[in-house]
Amino acid sequence: MKRLFTQILNRLQLPESWIIFFILGIIMMTFPFLQIFNKPTILFGVPLLFLYLMVGWIISIIVIYLFMLASRHANKSTEEKIEP
Amino acid sequence: MNSVVSSVAAIAFLYIILIFLIAWYAHHRKETGRSIISNPVIYSLSLGVYCTSWTFFGSVGKAATTGIDFVLIYLGPSLTAFSWLFLLRRIIKISKEHNITSIADFLSQRYGKSPWLGALVTVISFLGIMPYIALQLKAVSTSFLLLSGAQKDTFAYINLGTGISIPISLFLALTLALFSIVFGARRLVSSERHEGLIAAVAFESLVKLVALLVVGLFVTYGLFNGFIDIFERFRSINPDQFSQLFTFNTSKNDPNYISTFTLLFLSMGAIMLLPRQFHVMVIENSDESHIATAMWLFPAYLFLINLFVMPIAIGGILFTGSSSGADYFVLSIPQLAGHHYIALFAFLGGFSAAAGMVMVESIAISTMLLNHIFMPIIVRCTPQAWFPILLINLKRFGIVLVVLLGYFYYRVIGDSYTLVNMGLISFSAAAQFMPAMLGGLYWKRGNKTGAICGILFGFLIWLYTLLLPSFSKSGWISESLLSNGPFGIALLKPTALFGLTGMDLWSHSLFWSMLFNIGSYIICSILLNQNEQERDQVHKFIGIFSREEVHRRTERTRLSKPVTTDQFIALMSKFIGEHEAQRSFLLYSNERDISGDEAVSEFELPNLKRFAEKTLAGSVGGAAARAIVNNFLSDLGSSMEPVYDIFSSIRTNLDQNRESLFVRLKASEIINRTLDLQVIMDDLLRLLVKEFKLDVALILTKNEAGTFSVISMQGENLSDSNPPLWYLENVPYINLVYRDQKAHFINDLQLDRATPKLDQTVAEGFISCAHIPVFREGEPVIAVLSLFSKSIAGLFTQEFIKLLSSLTGQLAQAITIVHEVEAKQLERSQKEVALLQTARITRDMEIAQQIQESFLPDSAPTIAGVDIAGHCISAAHVGGDYYDFFLREGHIVDIVIADVSGHSVGAALIMSEVRTLLRAEANSIHTPRVVLETLNNQLHDDLSRAELFITMFYAEYNAETGILSYSNAGHNHPVLQRTNESLSQELDTEGLILGVKKDVLFEERSVMLTSGDVLLFYTDGLTEACNSNAEMFGMEGLYSLLKACGHLSATEIIDLFYARIHDFTGSQNLQDDISLVVVKKH
Repeated sequence: MKRLFTQILNRLQLPESWIIFFILGIIMMTFPFLQIFNKPTILFGVPLLFLYLMVGWIISIIVIYLFMLASRHANKSTEEKIEP
Repeated sequence: MNSVVSSVAAIAFLYIILIFLIAWYAHHRKETGRSIISNPVIYSLSLGVYCTSWTFFGSVGKAATTGIDFVLIYLGPSLTAFSWLFLLRRIIKISKEHNITSIADFLSQRYGKSPWLGALVTVISFLGIMPYIALQLKAVSTSFLLLSGAQKDTFAYINLGTGISIPISLFLALTLALFSIVFGARRLVSSERHEGLIAAVAFESLVKLVALLVVGLFVTYGLFNGFIDIFERFRSINPDQFSQLFTFNTSKNDPNYISTFTLLFLSMGAIMLLPRQFHVMVIENSDESHIATAMWLFPAYLFLINLFVMPIAIGGILFTGSSSGADYFVLSIPQLAGHHYIALFAFLGGFSAAAGMVMVESIAISTMLLNHIFMPIIVRCTPQAWFPILLINLKRFGIVLVVLLGYFYYRVIGDSYTLVNMGLISFSAAAQFMPAMLGGLYWKRGNKTGAICGILFGFLIWLYTLLLPSFSKSGWISESLLSNGPFGIALLKPTALFGLTGMDLWSHSLFWSMLFNIGSYIICSILLNQNEQERDQVHKFIGIFSREEVHRRTERTRLSKPVTTDQFIALMSKFIGEHEAQRSFLLYSNERDISGDEAVSEFELPNLKRFAEKTLAGSVGGAAARAIVNNFLSDLGSSMEPVYDIFSSIRTNLDQNRESLFVRLKASEIINRTLDLQVIMDDLLRLLVKEFKLDVALILTKNEAGTFSVISMQGENLSDSNPPLWYLENVPYINLVYRDQKAHFINDLQLDRATPKLDQTVAEGFISCAHIPVFREGEPVIAVLSLFSKSIAGLFTQEFIKLLSSLTGQLAQAITIVHEVEAKQLERSQKEVALLQTARITRDMEIAQQIQESFLPDSAPTIAGVDIAGHCISAAHVGGDYYDFFLREGHIVDIVIADVSGHSVGAALIMSEVRTLLRAEANSIHTPRVVLETLNNQLHDDLSRAELFITMFYAEYNAETGILSYSNAGHNHPVLQRTNESLSQELDTEGLILGVKKDVLFEERSVMLTSGDVLLFYTDGLTEACNSNAEMFGMEGLYSLLKACGHLSATEIIDLFYARIHDFTGSQNLQDDISLVVVKKH
């Protein structure tokens, strides 16, 4: 489990990952994707689009948080490499 | 004016004082060096200045009228946050590097420090932000009136007591302007961070978040039973409105993704490009590492502040029954529900949102106004002592101007627009900077003309399609313009330009402005070239992340007339004050290792100029700083001129260029082709003259007397008949070069800086010269290479001098090699001669030895009764030993043994003379005594002239009588060994060595030889022969050996002696000649 987490953090250090998530975010906020959720229905008592946007927002914040952890992780491991 | 108004005003006033205290505390902490602002959380909170009263009141308004699409205004920035790690970091790095003061400064500096671009961006920001400021004033004054219970839609007045009353919104505007001045314009340095301001903004961000959360919680959980309850109720009461509000759609209920995208795009741009966002994000950033935290904390902030917007909006509709007045639900719902304290808190939240925005925005814009509008005019005047005071007050004036313009817009537009719509006009204006910004950061070709055209066209379209309609909606401009187009041309209708319909106002404007903006930016950038200044700036902006670029930068410009550091400091003092100027110069000089009173090297001057520009840029912006410094230089009669680019601009990676490589290659060819130094130097000079268009090149060398002589001289049109002697006045410089081992150059002889003066050189028409030492590292200077140019001042750049020094290094190497080769050849030939001579001498000596050996008797004479033998072994080739026998009358034999001192040829010659004389004497009858006396007299002169001596023993044996007569001239005593040992004796007589003095009398003795007697004559080589322990053979060795060989024949005795001597010394080579003569009586 911990290994998997470290592995994810390592992957997130790549600049490509940043750009992929950035583009993914834009895609999810534009036409074809938005069409799926742009319906006046209710899910768990909450309007679908409202739920989609809010949950998506939280996920994006978590992703950025992970990115930040990854970059700290990277800094730490390079420091460790330099020190001994 | 009722009591509620005054109590609300009092609370607002107390709140302002609280904010002021916080700001003061932060400022105080900064002064004492313990900043509370340098902290990622504060940084993230300060970014919350993005959420203005538009967010606070307007979001709810938009949610209640057009629905959920308000969220897009905040989702955009959250998405942009993904790009911060590379985009924002890059911007911050560049801004810190160049002391950038605002977004206008940033763009202007990127595009060649263009003052026009800076001014354009300033004007757009100034006009574009006007609706935004108006929005804040409207929100706060409306909320104030709402809270105090006054009628809305009327402009209330505050009575100041003396009968003068001013509108409450104007009063508010002036208060906010004052606030901004106190926090943001106390000092002129704009690139410096305003910690007090940021503390206030961060605190306000916190207050507005908490206020909105409190209201949200109150509505959601106080008035209703949570989110689901609100949504369910609303859906059941008004399903039509529900589907309209909870989907993205047009008013006709069609899904509409164009406006969705427009909102997203505008907000993504606005978070970076609004002047206030740029200010808090970039200028006020204290540490790059704060970005990492802000990247998730700021989106989280936005998320929280928007979480309850939808519930408040729906709750408001449910609570009041309609969406009218939804812009102020945040305030009105708690008030209607009777919770006045929550309403008051909400008011403070809204006030915070507005105040923070107005403060930061007005400071940012006023900085831009000062730097890009006022400064370009001021820099045309001569700097005065009161300039710092003027500048700071202009900045304050700018703040007031910005706020008042916002107020003016508010008065004109008034209530005709909702808050959100007013904000979006500003967003659209800021979006016009996006192409130039992104292009400037990542596209090297993006040029000034492109940026100006793009921004200008985008701005004009924004003005026409957005700002104009906003005026006409308020009735300020005639409605017919909107409905029919200007002059009735429908194609030019501002809201449906070129017949484009079916789009909302924002998308329509964004589409056209971006099309023209991006289009003209790209087209101009591709079609037109960048000038030198622009290219320089592009390197600084885009090259900042590539390490190679930093090292590769070489100076492309030079100051035509040198300026001292003091002059620079004086200039800076005029704008930023004496104290500030001295302080920054101290920092700079420590970094670069120079001091104020020292003359600065010519290559350091451009750096100094850049430093002055950068320091001034921190206060007045890049474009103005450039203008100030350039004006100053031209007043002094100096200017930056491009370095004469002796090399083309095509460079390889190694900071080499084609020409320099070519010259190096040619030079090494010349040097390696021959060992003739004259040819090498002539060819090298010819190459330099030809390749670098020099007029004269010469190599001088100093001789031992200290005068210089020209070894080689090349140049254009040199007349041979009339030797030009003007270069002799350069001798002091050449002496300097000899002493310092450093190149010395004068890039402009016409400036009378050169001491001693070079009048003749100038008269010859030369305008620049350089003297480069020819030497190898760590060795003295061999010669000096002097170059003169008639055509190019500033020819000798750092790069060029470096190349020349490397060439002279090669030349020095070649000279050393040639000298070494010559020295080796000389040595070799000398050795050969010596060897030859030695060989000849050796041969001569061998001949001499042969001759000398032939002088010694081949065999001993045979005579009755005695057995005689003699032999000599020489140590050197020729020696001084001599023995001989002369047989007379058949029965008398003369035996002589002699030793000439030394083993030289001289000794050998004397010996042969002795032999000749003796041979002549031997025929006449003489006794030994007479022979020695005669010989002494005859030889004396020759011997004393040659400083030689002879020891000689002369004996005469008469076989008939058996008597041996003898005389001795200092020779080793011959040993007479008898069978009866007691009778054995050494033969000796009185007498001196031959050659000491004339007329010496010698004694003669005689002895009777009996049977068995063995008489041994020897030279000192026998007794003095040494073994390896330095022990001599000695008389004892002689005696014992002689005793043992009494029974042997004379020849055998001699052989035995030689064998024993060789054994004793352990070598076949004797140290001295040994001659032995043995006479044995039968």
